Amino acid sequence: MIHLQGVTKQFAGKRQVTALERLDLHLARGEMVSIVGPSGSGKSTLLNLIGGLDRPTEGEIKIDGQALSTLSDDGLTRVRRDKIGFIFQFFNLLPTLSCLENVSLPLHLRGWPRKKIDERARELLDLVQLSGRLEHLPDELSGGERQRVAIARALSVFPPVLLADEPTGNLDTHTGAEILKLIHDLHDRLGATILIVTHDMVVAESCPRTIGIRDGRIVTDVRRGDARREMSRA
Amino acid sequence: MMLLRLISWPYARKHLLRWLLTMAGIVLGVGVFVGMHTANQSVLAAFRETIDKVAGTTQLQITAGEPGFGEEVLEKVQSLPEVRAAAPVIEATVSTGQGNLLILGVDMLGDRSLRTYDLEGTDEAIDDPLIFLAQADSLIVTRTFAEKNGLQVNSRVPMRTMQGDLIFTVRGIMKPGGLASAFGGDLAIMDIYAAQKFFGRGRRFDRVDLALLDGVTLADGSAKLRALLGSGYEVSPPSSRGEQFEQTSRIYSLASNITSIFALFIGMFIIYNTFAIAVTQRRSEIGILRALGATRSQIRTLFLTESAIAGSIGSGLGVLFGIVMAHAMASYIGNILTEVYGVAQRADGIQVDPVLIGGAWAMGIVTSLFAAVIPARAAAYVDPVKALQKGRNQALSEGESLLRRWAAVGCAAAAVIAVIFSHSTAIFYAGFVLGGVAAVLLAPSLTLWLSRFLRPLLAFLRPVEGTLAADSLIQSPRRTSGTVAALMLSLALVISLGGLARSSYDSLADWMRIALNPDLFVTTAQSVTSRTFVFPASLGDGLRAIPGVDEVQLVRSVRVPVKGGPVMLVALDIGSVERRAKLPAVEGDAATMYRRTERGEAVLASENFVRLHGGKLGEVLEIAAPSGVLKLPIAGIVRDFSDQQGSLLISRQAYIRFWNDDSVNVFRVYVKQGAQDSDVRQRILDTFGKQQRLFVLTNKDVRDYVTRLTDQWFGLTYVQIAVAVLVAILGIVNALTVSITDRRRELGVLQAVGGLRQQIRHTVWMEAAAIGFIGLVLGLLLGAVELYYAIEISRRDLVGIDIGYAYPFRTALALAPVILIAAFLAAVGPSESAVRGSLVEALEYE
Repeated sequence: MIHLQGVTKQFAGKRQVTALERLDLHLARGEMVSIVGPSGSGKSTLLNLIGGLDRPTEGEIKIDGQALSTLSDDGLTRVRRDKIGFIFQFFNLLPTLSCLENVSLPLHLRGWPRKKIDERARELLDLVQLSGRLEHLPDELSGGERQRVAIARALSVFPPVLLADEPTGNLDTHTGAEILKLIHDLHDRLGATILIVTHDMVVAESCPRTIGIRDGRIVTDVRRGDARREMSRA
Repeated sequence: MMLLRLISWPYARKHLLRWLLTMAGIVLGVGVFVGMHTANQSVLAAFRETIDKVAGTTQLQITAGEPGFGEEVLEKVQSLPEVRAAAPVIEATVSTGQGNLLILGVDMLGDRSLRTYDLEGTDEAIDDPLIFLAQADSLIVTRTFAEKNGLQVNSRVPMRTMQGDLIFTVRGIMKPGGLASAFGGDLAIMDIYAAQKFFGRGRRFDRVDLALLDGVTLADGSAKLRALLGSGYEVSPPSSRGEQFEQTSRIYSLASNITSIFALFIGMFIIYNTFAIAVTQRRSEIGILRALGATRSQIRTLFLTESAIAGSIGSGLGVLFGIVMAHAMASYIGNILTEVYGVAQRADGIQVDPVLIGGAWAMGIVTSLFAAVIPARAAAYVDPVKALQKGRNQALSEGESLLRRWAAVGCAAAAVIAVIFSHSTAIFYAGFVLGGVAAVLLAPSLTLWLSRFLRPLLAFLRPVEGTLAADSLIQSPRRTSGTVAALMLSLALVISLGGLARSSYDSLADWMRIALNPDLFVTTAQSVTSRTFVFPASLGDGLRAIPGVDEVQLVRSVRVPVKGGPVMLVALDIGSVERRAKLPAVEGDAATMYRRTERGEAVLASENFVRLHGGKLGEVLEIAAPSGVLKLPIAGIVRDFSDQQGSLLISRQAYIRFWNDDSVNVFRVYVKQGAQDSDVRQRILDTFGKQQRLFVLTNKDVRDYVTRLTDQWFGLTYVQIAVAVLVAILGIVNALTVSITDRRRELGVLQAVGGLRQQIRHTVWMEAAAIGFIGLVLGLLLGAVELYYAIEISRRDLVGIDIGYAYPFRTALALAPVILIAAFLAAVGPSESAVRGSLVEALEYE
């Protein structure tokens, strides 16, 4: 589903910084993978490249068989729109829009009919157990609820890939565990490929596969059995 | 200082474009102020310089308004023991192919005791003034004029005079400097008796220049001369002519002041806007500073210092811009003033006044500081705890909004009360200011309400882009309302000036239909207002004898001192005017006022004379004439647009009696029914055109001329409109640039969840269009109120004429696409910057 070959990312500046170096990675369809590493190791950069938010300096990235390097900016946007859902640490909800409107946003951008958008948004908010908060503004929600709305928005078109950047990083332990459970449930139900960047080892170890990154290179790639996963969900 | 370097400088460097836009408001305001005033002062200085250079050693000048006086006055003046030297002068400006030429008619025998004629070489004709006198076709020109026209001694110069087309001979060339540099060097000297003949002055002089004996003070000399000549004469030093010019062009100066102050006022809003936004954006920085021990006073000083620096740089650039502008405007303004007020000058260069420059610079800084006072105070009161919480904004408090709204209501109520008691000038102007203040205070609330009103419409047009655009406005009232207020004020100015122009044109068209109804006008120049040459009255009989001519009206227009200022006195056959072109009576008995004036028992005053000079029906006016003071009551007040300063209509017979002048400026010719205007015109030209300087203008020519003159006058209005729109566009660019920065993360999210570049552009464009639309709606509404004030100010203090209120719907309609297109253009840069930035950085932006 996600294929990276020889991906390098350098940032130009007074001193050139190499964030990722000749990185190869393959994620199968429906796989749930966590990426861990210290600050500045390149894990967020990796997520940005896979999500088409940024372009690699070298190498090739393919999402669902489609090479991103050949795409224009709008082409990349279309890939994000159709195939990728984002979950951010700080939620990135639009403060002026209600929950319903925030979840509807990607659907409007796709030009869906209003009625269909409304139905889908309500369905998604129901899925994340927020059907009672449709007209609330983000400021009127708790941190956990905001992240649920963000997840509903990421799932709006049921994308085959879900990218989460520190999804529990801005939440307390209890709420974080709830969100993690929700992500696992959705994975089970929707079967999307999920990639989670995290500092939190509980989150990382709840995933069947964990990739460790240091200084822009993959240093570990651990696969676990379902038992471990079940344990973290318990 | 350290805070400035560590905190302010990096922020300014990061937001360079915004600072430049902010300073542009001040640059424009100061620039327009400096430009207009420098151009004005240059024109005035050019006029004064000409007076000064022409005056030579003249200490006093004797005048009696434009008609001048008889030759006997010279003898009287010369007979006074205190007078060392006295010489007669005729001063006339003639149009040549190379522009205007100032001709000085002097008596070469006596004039050398007052003026120095520094001639090149030694020419017999000039060494002996009697020879120069004996040859009436003699001219002395300056080296500048000679070089410009390829002339040398004995060159021939053709000129159209009241004696027909004549050839003059250059008998001498003056060296550059002194008298020769007056009027930009475009000067020629002619013998005074020749000038009398060629300009149709008869046996009259324009003035007498004189010098007093050593030891005689100006006050003593003036008093003795006044006692000798009587009240019909003015005795004053040459420099007082500059004051008269200033007084005459007062309206123009006032109009240019309004433009520049308005530009500065709008600039102030842009600065306020930028600082208000900077405080919001830098709240975490302020929070950190406060947490580290910075006092409120230090924070406030930091922002005020930033503002002073921005104001200082902006003002400096504005001064430079103004000087460049003054170079371009000086000759244009000079031409307008020559055409409208008939005062010739030559403003080729500009005079930079250090006091004006210093004042403008200080004004720019003070404006900038004033605009930053409220944001600086807000910065000082930023709560460090809230400021340091990520993503938490300290919004404009409801309490502040409420206070502002109540203040607005109070100002609006006071403005309405002021309208009721508007007979007092102070109350009227206080009401005008309060109305503006009320509008400005209400702008944020109105902007918010209109943004909410627009949200469903924008959401309907584009569900995502439209909603986000409207929400952006709703969420940031500070960011939007400053721009909207600037736009509102600009457009209100456009509407009020446009409406004033429209109403003025309508009133002028009405007046022209009634007053300018002769079929032909026989004049001494292409321009009907020129009074350099005059016709003898006898030409009237000749014109009457032309086949096809039904009636001829003889008109003599002269500026004479009345109520302490120069007023246009129009002497004509009142009975004929009553029959042919009866001006609408504003006050007085229409049935008797013309008859009383015709009999020489009274005058008719124009509406604007009464308003501007404080006259009233029945008031007895004292008009100083060479043969005594004419005391005539105002028999009626009529609507007459002959002169901006007001006019008095007097019977021609009374004028001839008191001024001993039967010359004519214009013959108004009515053609018999059945006769063709063009045939009669040709007959007049065939009969008289070769004998003397004479132009025959058709009714259409004259109307076109008046309209062109009005166009030139309102040309300044268009400059004001351009400045207003430009400042408004700057405001929109500024607001959008800030908006893009503010919404960087939001726009990043939009792109992250699938928004295409075009969709991002749409949301920025829609926000710009919404700002434009709101500013337009508020501007058009405020414009309706401002138009009332503009008409009132014009009536009370500018031209003194009642013009009807007519809202300029066409201008309003034309503004809609202009502003929306301007808003779109203003949005292009910011929208491109929104789509071209790094998406990753946008998502991380806080």
